[in-house]
Amino acid sequence: MRLAQIDRILSLEKGEAITAVKGLALSEEYLKDHFPRFPVMPGVLMLESMFQAAMYLLRASDDFAHSMVVLKEARNFKFNGFVQPGDQLVVTAKIQSVKDGVYKIKTEGQIAGKPAVSGIMFLEQFNLADRGTGAAATDDHMISEFKKNYQRLFDQINNPVSTAVDG
Amino acid sequence: MRWFWIDRFTEFVSGKHAKAVKAVSLAEEAVDEYAPGATYLPASLLIEGTAQCGGLLVAQLSDFRNRTVLAKVGNVTFHQQAYPGSVVAFDVQITSVQPNGAFVSAQLTCNDKPLAELDLMFAFLTDDRFDDVTLFEPAALLRMCRLMRMFEVGKYEDGTPLKIPQYMLDAEKAELSV
Amino acid sequence: MPSNEEVFGKVQEALVDALGVEDDEVTPEATLVGDLGAESIDFLDIVFKLEKAFNITIPREELFPDDILATTTYIQDGKLNAEGLAKLKERMPFADLTKFESDPRVQDFGNLLTVQDLVNYVCTKVA
Repeated sequence: MRLAQIDRILSLEKGEAITAVKGLALSEEYLKDHFPRFPVMPGVLMLESMFQAAMYLLRASDDFAHSMVVLKEARNFKFNGFVQPGDQLVVTAKIQSVKDGVYKIKTEGQIAGKPAVSGIMFLEQFNLADRGTGAAATDDHMISEFKKNYQRLFDQINNPVSTAVDG
Repeated sequence: MRWFWIDRFTEFVSGKHAKAVKAVSLAEEAVDEYAPGATYLPASLLIEGTAQCGGLLVAQLSDFRNRTVLAKVGNVTFHQQAYPGSVVAFDVQITSVQPNGAFVSAQLTCNDKPLAELDLMFAFLTDDRFDDVTLFEPAALLRMCRLMRMFEVGKYEDGTPLKIPQYMLDAEKAELSV
Repeated sequence: MPSNEEVFGKVQEALVDALGVEDDEVTPEATLVGDLGAESIDFLDIVFKLEKAFNITIPREELFPDDILATTTYIQDGKLNAEGLAKLKERMPFADLTKFESDPRVQDFGNLLTVQDLVNYVCTKVA
C-alpha cells in the first residue's frame, strides 16, 4: 500500500481497541504541495491514519475473514492541531457498537499527548465474491496481503511476528 | 506524489458553487495496492478533492488572501468506491461564509451514480499564532488555479468572467523577470 | 413563536451535531466548554447550525464578546472591572453572569456559557 498512514501498531485488543503511530517525515513528497510554505499533514491523511488503524482492528478481530473494509460514514472530524514534519501522530480506535454489519468506531489522534483530531467513523467489511463484484481468488489475495501488512506493522523487535499475529 | 485531488474545474461561480472532475487511475500512487487485487481511490482523498474544490471556491471570495484550511469534516456518507477507469464529479456549494470560516455542502457522483455526500467546514487562519504563516506563494497558487482551469470556466453570478486578482498577476510577472 | 421547549430541542440537536456528544449530556446547566468539550473551532460550527436551524443571524460578538474581553480599560489584573462588567451585561442580557461576577477573570470567561444561556439567546432572536 503506497498510501500507508500507519507506521507501527503499538497495541491491539481484539474486538475492542487499537493504538498505532504515524510519523510525518519532511521527505514525504506531497508536502511540497501542502503547503509550499508551510508543510503539514493534511487533515484527510490524519483521518486516513485513523481509518487504517480502525481497519486493522476490524481485520484482526475477525481473523481476516473479509477482504474489503470500507468507510461508509465519517462524522464530526475536527482538526485541532497541525502535525508538522518530525511529529508523530498517535492514533487510537475503539469499537463502540455494530449494527447490520456496520461498525461504529470512535477515533482519536494525539501529538505529544495533546488531542489533535477526533471523530466517529462507520466501517463495513465484506467479500467481493459474496457481492458478486469479484472473484474469490481476489478476496484471498487481498486478505493475504493485509495479513502480511499487519505482521510488518507490529514492533518486530519487542513483539516478534510469532506473538503479534496469534492464531 | 502530488497533492492534487481534483483534475479540473468544469464550473465555477464566485460565491455560489463549483464543479470539478477527477479521473481515477491505476497509475496513481495512492490507488496502487490500496486494496490489493481490487483497488480503488481511498475515501479520504475524495474528501480532500471536495476540500480542494470547496476551499478554492471559498478562498476566491477574499481574492485568495484568506489562509483557508479544512477545519472540520462534519458529515460524510459514501455509497460505493471509486474504481480505476472512473471519473468522479464534484458538485460543491457554499452554504455559509463568516469572518472566521466557511461551510460547504457537496455531492459526488462516479460515472453519474451517487458516490458520496459531504458537509465540510473551513477555518481562516486568523489567530496570532499564524501571523508568520503563508501557505502558498501568490504566483504558485495562481499557477495551480490555472492548472485546474479555474479562470477558463470561472465567472461571477452575473455571468461576467472571473477576474484574476492583480497582486497575483504582478507576482507571476515578477517571477519572469528573474 | 416557538416555545422554550422547542427552542431547547433544536439547540440540543445543534450541539449534538456540532460536538458529537450524546443527547443526555446536553442539559440546560451544562457549560459548552467545560462540560461539552467545545473548542474554538466548534463555535463556528455551533453558530452556523443555530443560524440554519432558526433562520436567524448571529453576530459573533453577541455570543463571544472578544472585543469587550480584550479592551484594556475594562480589565484590571486580569479581571473585568465594574465598567467592563456593565458592558458585558449590556451585550449579553440573556446570560446568567452571577457566577462570573463573583470572580470575573477574563481567562475563565470562555467556560461561562451554558446551554440555557444559548437557549435564552435564541429566544431573544426569534421573538
